[in-house]
Amino acid sequence: MGDLTTITVKEVKELIRDPKILIGVVLMPLIMFPIMGSAISISQKSVVEAMISASFAVYNEDGGQAAFELLDYLRDNHEITAIEAASLEDALRIFIDSEAMTMLYIEEGYSENVSQGLRGRMKIYANLKSMTIAETGSSDTVGRLISLYSYGRSIDWIESLLSEADDPSKPEVVRSPLTYQVASIIKGNVIEVNPSMLFNLIMTQSVMLPIMVMVMLMFAIQMAATSIALEKEQKTLETLMTLPVSRLTILSGKLAGSIVVAIAGAIAYMIGFGYYMTSALSFAPEMTSMSTGDVSLGLQPLGVVLLGVNIFMTLVSGLALAISLAVFTDNVRSAQSLTGFLTLPVIVPAIILMFTDLSMLPPTVKWILLLIPYTHSIIASKAAFLGNYGVVISSILYIGAFTIAVLYLAARIFSTERIITARFTTLNLKRLLRRE
Amino acid sequence: MEAAIKVEDLVKNFGNILALDEASFTVRDREVFGLIGPNGAGKTTALRILGTLLKPTSGHVEVFDLDVVKEADSVREMISYLPEEAGAYQNLSGYEYLRFMAGFYSNAAMNTEDMISEAEKLSGLGDRLDDRVKGYSKGMKRRLLLARALMMRPKLAILDEPTSGLDVVHSYHIRQMIKDYADSKGVTVLLSSHNMLEVEFLCHRVALIHEGKVLAEGSPEELKDRYGAENLEQVFMEATKLG
Repeated sequence: MGDLTTITVKEVKELIRDPKILIGVVLMPLIMFPIMGSAISISQKSVVEAMISASFAVYNEDGGQAAFELLDYLRDNHEITAIEAASLEDALRIFIDSEAMTMLYIEEGYSENVSQGLRGRMKIYANLKSMTIAETGSSDTVGRLISLYSYGRSIDWIESLLSEADDPSKPEVVRSPLTYQVASIIKGNVIEVNPSMLFNLIMTQSVMLPIMVMVMLMFAIQMAATSIALEKEQKTLETLMTLPVSRLTILSGKLAGSIVVAIAGAIAYMIGFGYYMTSALSFAPEMTSMSTGDVSLGLQPLGVVLLGVNIFMTLVSGLALAISLAVFTDNVRSAQSLTGFLTLPVIVPAIILMFTDLSMLPPTVKWILLLIPYTHSIIASKAAFLGNYGVVISSILYIGAFTIAVLYLAARIFSTERIITARFTTLNLKRLLRRE
Repeated sequence: MEAAIKVEDLVKNFGNILALDEASFTVRDREVFGLIGPNGAGKTTALRILGTLLKPTSGHVEVFDLDVVKEADSVREMISYLPEEAGAYQNLSGYEYLRFMAGFYSNAAMNTEDMISEAEKLSGLGDRLDDRVKGYSKGMKRRLLLARALMMRPKLAILDEPTSGLDVVHSYHIRQMIKDYADSKGVTVLLSSHNMLEVEFLCHRVALIHEGKVLAEGSPEELKDRYGAENLEQVFMEATKLG
């Protein structure tokens, strides 16, 4: 076994056997996300069930024939509770005290209007006691039932008019004489899918990718900081530095070990997040039934390769930066808090680019973001997905240059005695301030 | 006799702190040499420079005629360094730790398995080598680490306070390990200690170090004669004029 492999294997063993890392990085995402997904799914299902099963109240002020016909229709399709009251105010008071979330108010004159060919007027009241989705959705359910009834009445009416006029036209066509379908063209291929549905799909993916890169990078930073701080905390670094192996090999072994564990963490995260997405969205099958592969929007082989290079570069630079910083600490806790602020330039661009595009940002914000190397990791991930390889390559070049600079810095620190003597404590800071 | 270590006018500054002040001493091949002095005397700094961890501010240091600064890589192939209060990887077993360390030294003369069986004998830890290091007592850890430092039969073993913080039984065992190994394998040993009795028991020659300066160098008998003292403790007090 070569020296690099020996160090890498040891690093992986050390990290993966640390219960904090095993639980926090690998097991947590596998357990946490499916639980979160199930929780969302359970709550969504209960909302849907509550909306379906909940009765709604009806205050029939009109009392005419047409109003009773409407009530019969509603009763056939849903559970309703009739409110007996002398006025609308009384009816509302009863409704507010009742279990019902929605009240349908059939105004006086409804039947008369309907019989004279005028519009029958109604009003729906939604009682928002606790502002739940079920409460707001309940008025939609009543609205939909009335729309369907209205459509049915309209078709019957048209049919009778047509037969009086001896017109062979179909009532549905008379009601809605024109129709259209929407298709999308992507990369020259016609796909029988609505563009807004496609847009939603792309958005889901382009949001997912930056999250993945961000999470993986944060794992990697944590890994590398822990790995070097463990050496310092366990007082093994001094011994390691006197072994007949180059400092660059030690650094590379540490990077490689951290990358392996970070990738394991990222895979666990992706599996966990996959479960989360499928279980959380199980109530909305149209969201999960279509994949980017179906609409030939998936990553092409070149995109996969470039994405891999981009993620690798990003990881290496993050790790080298974390190692360079962690060298200045004595133990795992202080290493993690010192490298904690490294997550800022990772999180900020990821969050901003999750919701918007660089071109939509004010120029100052845009240029500040562009200076941050990790912005480019996210831009490259999105661009690889959309097939804009020019953007991917230029982003890779930028992050590559940054990676080389950081690696050089880490190698410099590793080759000097600073790796043994460097300390960054509050005491040092106070001394430094006093000197100034 | 060939010199294993030559230290000439060694100076090391840490900012305003002068850790070594023109220190000079020579260690002969195959001898056990002790650097003795109180805490903060500069012993660890001197050993770290010999172990290629630190660079001298000025002066010259050679290990088997190799410059520790210019030829650090070659020096590392000959030495084995045991830092004071060193630890081992908590999540590896004793065997895994030894195998990891042996991996860097394997050569035609001694392969990994030879080194591990040597370490097994030296440490006397038996089946406990299968256990994770995190379950070891301080004494067991030190025995494992010393076995690690000696298993590859280095030309020079640098041991910083090898028995520091250990109880009587473990200290005794460690001292025996060093003495037997140095006698039987002909390894040069440079150790530091503030335990004068330990040094007298183990070392062929010693150097007294105080506030970064080497005050005297010679065999314990020579030094006792020179200062008219009964033991090294008295020698030290006389040499430093602290008595």
